[in-house]
Amino acid sequence: MIIIIVAVLVVIILAGIFMYNSLIQKKNAIDNAYFSMDVMLKKRYDLIPQLVETVKGYMHHEKDVLMQLTEMRQKLMAGNLSTNDKVELDNKINSALQNIFVSFENYPQLKASENFLKLQGAINETEEQLAASRRFFNAAVNDYHNSIEMFPSSMVASWMGLKHKTYFNIPDSMKEVPFVTIN
Amino acid sequence: MPARENFNDFFEKELQRLLNPLELKRKKLMQYGINGFVLLGLAIILFLAASSGQPAAAAVVAFLVVIAAIILLIIYYNKKKHYTAEFKETIISEIICFINPSFRYNPSASVSRGDYDNSGLFLQNPDSYNGDDYTEGTHGKTFFCFSELHTEYKVSSGKQTSWVTIFKGLFFIGDFNKKFSGRTYVWSEENPQLNFFNKLFSSFASNLEKVKLESLEFEKSFVVYSNDQVEARYILTPSFMERLVKLEELMGIGISFSFVNTNIYVAVPVRRSLFEPSIFSRNDYKSLEDYYNTVHIVLDIIDELNLNLRIWSKE
Repeated sequence: MIIIIVAVLVVIILAGIFMYNSLIQKKNAIDNAYFSMDVMLKKRYDLIPQLVETVKGYMHHEKDVLMQLTEMRQKLMAGNLSTNDKVELDNKINSALQNIFVSFENYPQLKASENFLKLQGAINETEEQLAASRRFFNAAVNDYHNSIEMFPSSMVASWMGLKHKTYFNIPDSMKEVPFVTIN
Repeated sequence: MPARENFNDFFEKELQRLLNPLELKRKKLMQYGINGFVLLGLAIILFLAASSGQPAAAAVVAFLVVIAAIILLIIYYNKKKHYTAEFKETIISEIICFINPSFRYNPSASVSRGDYDNSGLFLQNPDSYNGDDYTEGTHGKTFFCFSELHTEYKVSSGKQTSWVTIFKGLFFIGDFNKKFSGRTYVWSEENPQLNFFNKLFSSFASNLEKVKLESLEFEKSFVVYSNDQVEARYILTPSFMERLVKLEELMGIGISFSFVNTNIYVAVPVRRSLFEPSIFSRNDYKSLEDYYNTVHIVLDIIDELNLNLRIWSKE
């Protein structure tokens, strides 16, 4: 009888350890995904000065937007922002970039420039890599949520005080289609 | 590239003319084959007769008939080899040239063993590697090559050895339109390599992790492994996943893809031999259109997957 009780206890303890480790692993996967997203964002910010430099000679009507873009990038790169401010600023950069990308259509000379075409390729690549890292982040969050909600790992999760994480909202326009296309 | 409807004109004007002399050779060859097989059948009947009461004379005749049958069949297989080579050089080359004169075709070559191994699509190491009908070229902006392949491994139990097929079908390599550095594999859910244990312990190949994707339709058909979760999603965008599902509908279940060394590798299982002329029936419009369609399958892969869209940093 004692042997059975000990065996059951051992199984419960082992299952608990397994669930604990699995939850930690999933929580770390989210951090890892967040980090890869951060790398992609940095890559995107690195392209902004190059973009401004390439297009400013052509896009006279969008001078203000280009200036704002440079300022916002500088603020982000300064690195003393809270996460919320960072997300807000990133959203603003997003919409400024989209405005600029839409305006490309009005500048055929710009679209014929080789420098611009190369930059266009790099931007498309970065945007799609960013979209991919956001999808990875959401997949990691989904996996983590499944674990903290499903029984019996939910018990271990509540004991560990694990909370829900927020999904990244990916607008349809950003899911994959690059902003810039080559005609 | 000419439209598919123009193949009929091409057949009437060009292929028919080239087929006529080959048709005479095929008929002669067929005669050798029929005679050889008939004599072989006759020899079997004579041997049966000899074993049931008419010993000496029947056995001698049967022996002579067997020798004649063997000689005829040796001639048949020898001539068949020459006929097949000539058919491919004349007809298949012409069809490929019709599709695009810049494509290169070599009937006796195949995709290299190195490329096959690099694809990483097959977990079992082959003991026998055969292939033919190598074709390469550039379709739009995409360089591609493909050939028919048949790979097998040996299974020995005691004194008996048997061969098990790993892959038989069309093996395609294309230059992918995005840069990447990792390895991503898209296997059909039906792939026999992905048995229960391989799926359970997903790191069956070094450093690979299972990639769970959002498209339910895609997840029903395929299982994805990669050594880079972000890169796998960079390659497998929502619309690209849709295209892979569509391609599977077009080509049939069992199709697998891998993304390695900035190339896309596609293995399309096909049971029958491709590009082999028939001996016992006429090579008519229908059969030649089949060869034409087979080459088009490869171009369809490039078009369906939109590999000519080059809007990223890779040119």
